[in-house]
Amino acid sequence: MTQAPLLSVRNVSRSFGGLNAVQDVSLELHQGLITALAGPNGAGKTTLFNLVTGHVAPDRGEVSLRGRPIAGMKPHRVARLGLARSFQDLRLFGHMTVRDNVLAAVETGAWLWQFGGRAGQRDRRERVEHALDVTGLAPLAEIRAVDLSYAETKFLSLARILATGAPIWLLDEPASGLDPSSRAHFIKLVREAAQSGVTICLIEHNLDIVTELADRIAFLDRGRKLAEGLPKDILGDAELIAIYFGERRE
Amino acid sequence: MIAYLVNLATLMAIFGIAASSLNLLIGYAGIFSMAHAMFFGVGAYVGAQLALHVVADVGLAALAGGAVAAVLSLCLALPALRVRGEYFVAASLGLQMLASTIFGETHILTGGVGGLTGIPAPTLLGYDISSPVVYLLVVTSVLILTLVFIHSLIRGSFGRGLMAIRDSESAAEAFGKDIRSLKTLVVVIGCFLVGVAGSLLAFHMAFVNVESFTLDQSVLMMAMVIIGGAGTIYGPLVGVVTLMALPAGLSFLTFIPSTEIGTVQQFIYGVAMTLLMIFRPSGLVGQSRGRR
Repeated sequence: MTQAPLLSVRNVSRSFGGLNAVQDVSLELHQGLITALAGPNGAGKTTLFNLVTGHVAPDRGEVSLRGRPIAGMKPHRVARLGLARSFQDLRLFGHMTVRDNVLAAVETGAWLWQFGGRAGQRDRRERVEHALDVTGLAPLAEIRAVDLSYAETKFLSLARILATGAPIWLLDEPASGLDPSSRAHFIKLVREAAQSGVTICLIEHNLDIVTELADRIAFLDRGRKLAEGLPKDILGDAELIAIYFGERRE
Repeated sequence: MIAYLVNLATLMAIFGIAASSLNLLIGYAGIFSMAHAMFFGVGAYVGAQLALHVVADVGLAALAGGAVAAVLSLCLALPALRVRGEYFVAASLGLQMLASTIFGETHILTGGVGGLTGIPAPTLLGYDISSPVVYLLVVTSVLILTLVFIHSLIRGSFGRGLMAIRDSESAAEAFGKDIRSLKTLVVVIGCFLVGVAGSLLAFHMAFVNVESFTLDQSVLMMAMVIIGGAGTIYGPLVGVVTLMALPAGLSFLTFIPSTEIGTVQQFIYGVAMTLLMIFRPSGLVGQSRGRR
C-alpha cells in the first residue's frame, strides 16, 4: 500500500453536545480496495461517513480527496469531486420512477439544463440504462421507487451510485436484510466495481458479508478507531469480537 | 348568463396560472409557501400602476408584474434556503402577513385599503382586447403557455432535481444537487408566473385592493393545488375548477338563502378536504400507491 491514498481522513473529531461521536479518527482509502467499517451500534461509523461527505462538518481534523482538502465542503461539491454514497435508510426519491431516480443521481448541473450537450445526455442515458440492467431493475424502470419491494430498493440505491461513475463509494449497510440470492448478486456487483478500480468503504453489520468483500477492516467503538488491518486479523481478535457483540470492556 | 360564465372561466384561467405556479413550489420542490398571494398582489399592483400611468398593454404589464414579483421573491428564497419544513411555512406566513399590512398602508403604491380603481381597458400590441370573450382567449392562451412551460421544465433535469430535493434533500445533495440554486430558481420562476397572473387579474377586475391578496387567498391557492393533486400538471386546474365552481353552483340552488351560501360553502369545503385527505391524500388527479 505504498500508493498515495485516494481519500484520507486525519485525526477527525466531532461531538454533538456532550457526545463525542467521532474522536481523533484517521483512515485511508486506496484505489480498488474495499475497506469495511465495523463496530457496534453507536461506534461513529455513519457519522464518519457524514464527516467525509460534508453532511456534517468536523470539529477538528482533515479530510482530503486526492490530496485536496474537503473537510467542511458542501455535500454537493464533495459529490461532484467523485464521491458517491448510500444511506442506511436509503433516502430514495420515493415519488420518482426508478429510471428518474438514477437519472437524477447523474445530473449534477444546478440550472435549467445539464452541461455536455447531446453527447453528455447520451452518455448519462447509457450509464443509467447500464446501471438498471446490471442491477436487474430495467423491467421496473417506470415503477415509482415507493412501490418497490425491499430488495429492489436496495438495488436501486446501488444503481444510483453505479451510474454516477464516481471513483469512491461509501456504502452504509448496503446489503442488510437481503435474501441469500439477492445478497450474492449484490456482493458480485460490489466486487466487480472494486476490480474495475472503484474505491469502496462500507459499513456492514453482517460479518459474513464483511468477510466476503473487505480487503481491510477498520474497527470503531464509541467514536474511536480501535484497530485496522486484514479481515482475518480483526475478526480473529477475541477482544474486538467481544466488543462487537456487546461485551464491553471498561 | 353567458357573461357570467365567461367571467367565471376567465377567473378560473387566472387562478389556474396562479395555482400551477404554486404547484411548481409545493408539488415539485416541496416548498410549502404561504406567501403566494403576496406575489399575486405584487403582480396585480405593478400591472395596475403600469396601466394607470404608462400604457394599458396586458403583455407589458404581465411581464413587468412577473419581473417585479420574481425579484421580490428573493425575500422568500432567502428564508427558504435557511429553514426547512414547518419552519419555512412559518417564515412564509410571516412574510404574507407583512405584505398584507404593506399593501394596506402604502397608499402611494397600492391605494391603501381602498385599492386602485379605474384601471383602463386592456390592449395587446395596440389591439383592443377589452371584450370579455377576447380577454378570456388571451388569458387562456397564457394559461396554456404556462402549462407547457411547466411541463417542459418538469420533464427535464431541472424537474428531476426539484423532485429529488422534495423527496430527500440530503440524498439530493449527496448526488451533487446544489439545493440553494435549485430552490432559488424555482421560487423565482413560481413567483414570476403568479405575478403574471396577478397582472391579468388587475385588468380583468379593473380594480385591485388588499382583500384579494391576503392569507386567505394563499390558503385558497394551496387548497386548489392539494385538492387537485400536487405534483401533477393538471391537478391544480382540477382544484381550481372544483373550488371555483362550487360557490358558483351553490348560487343556482334557490333553496339556499343567498346570505347562507358562504356558510354552506365552508362546510362543504371542510368535509371535502377531510374526506379527500383520508381517502385520496394525493389529490383528485394524484397517483395513489401501488404498481401500475
